[in-house]
Amino acid sequence: MGSFEQKDPGPIGALATTVGGVMYMHSFQGGATLLSLGLIFILYTMFVWWRDVLRESTLEGHHTKVVQLGPRYGFILFIVSEVMFLFALFRASSHSSLAPTVEIGGIWPPKGIAVLDPREIPFLNTLIPLSSGAAVTWAHHAILAGKEKRAVYALVATVSLALVFTAFQGMEYYQAPSTISDIIYGSTFFLATGFHGFHVIIGTLFSIVCGIRQYLGHLTKEHHVGFEAAAWYWHFVDVVRLFPFVSIYWWGGI
Amino acid sequence: MASAIVRSTLRTALRGGARVNPASTRSFSAGASAEEEAREAAKWEKITYVGIVACTILAAVNLSKGHPHFEEPPAYPYLHIRNKEFPWGPDGLFEVKEHH
Repeated sequence: MGSFEQKDPGPIGALATTVGGVMYMHSFQGGATLLSLGLIFILYTMFVWWRDVLRESTLEGHHTKVVQLGPRYGFILFIVSEVMFLFALFRASSHSSLAPTVEIGGIWPPKGIAVLDPREIPFLNTLIPLSSGAAVTWAHHAILAGKEKRAVYALVATVSLALVFTAFQGMEYYQAPSTISDIIYGSTFFLATGFHGFHVIIGTLFSIVCGIRQYLGHLTKEHHVGFEAAAWYWHFVDVVRLFPFVSIYWWGGI
Repeated sequence: MASAIVRSTLRTALRGGARVNPASTRSFSAGASAEEEAREAAKWEKITYVGIVACTILAAVNLSKGHPHFEEPPAYPYLHIRNKEFPWGPDGLFEVKEHH
């Protein structure tokens, strides 16, 4: 009774990450170590939590239609909260770009800032998530049609496109003429695209898990809440990508 | 009245598309049979391939262009702000110093 795994390890990971993070950014000794330990702890907590969810649902069959409503509603609300967060970041960008102050030359982009050509990598990196969204839709219909092997291929396509996106985004960051420290343009650009990229990585991991579960036969055509959550998240990430492309890359560079 | 329709649509969508009436009027509903689902899956598979081909062509075009060169801007005080040094050193995370 009372083994360590039955107690909730979450708060320790959260505390270690936040305290370690602050220590690291202020160059205190041991900050980096504490931060790393905290992050590892959080990942461990996530792993055991979701392992238990899968045990209760797929293996023990506790997730009736009514029980499934909980994760469904919950995940939709989570996505709504993410929309709020990203809305704030894009609002910050608009706030500064629609009425540029005199200190940066009264123009947008500010004087001295060179911008990337939106027709190059940014356009490609908008087409890739759209194709990946088509792939996840393919996967969903394949699962509903009972075509289990095709669904695995579809998820492999989804994840591969996502990984290519992340690689190109990294390349774009290295080639970018401005950095996050380059006045409000750099701040808003890198925060908005950076957090979007972070969400892409999370969505990619979620899709990889779905691909593995589909391969193992966890998902049936009537019951695949985890996959639906991943697909909703993926479409959300995809739609969000359109906003920085139009407002920051395209309009913001004119 | 409208909100009741919205609520019941949301509820049915959340329940995974339970059948309310045979002639489904919800535009986002799942197909009613396995053959329809298979056709939808095949359609999206083709769309995915078109997307992959388009992305591959664009990727090849982009990669062949090489590293873009930007002029060094004048040292405005609002560029390259370093009020406090980063914990990992003087450079930004993605900052590369040009060697040529």
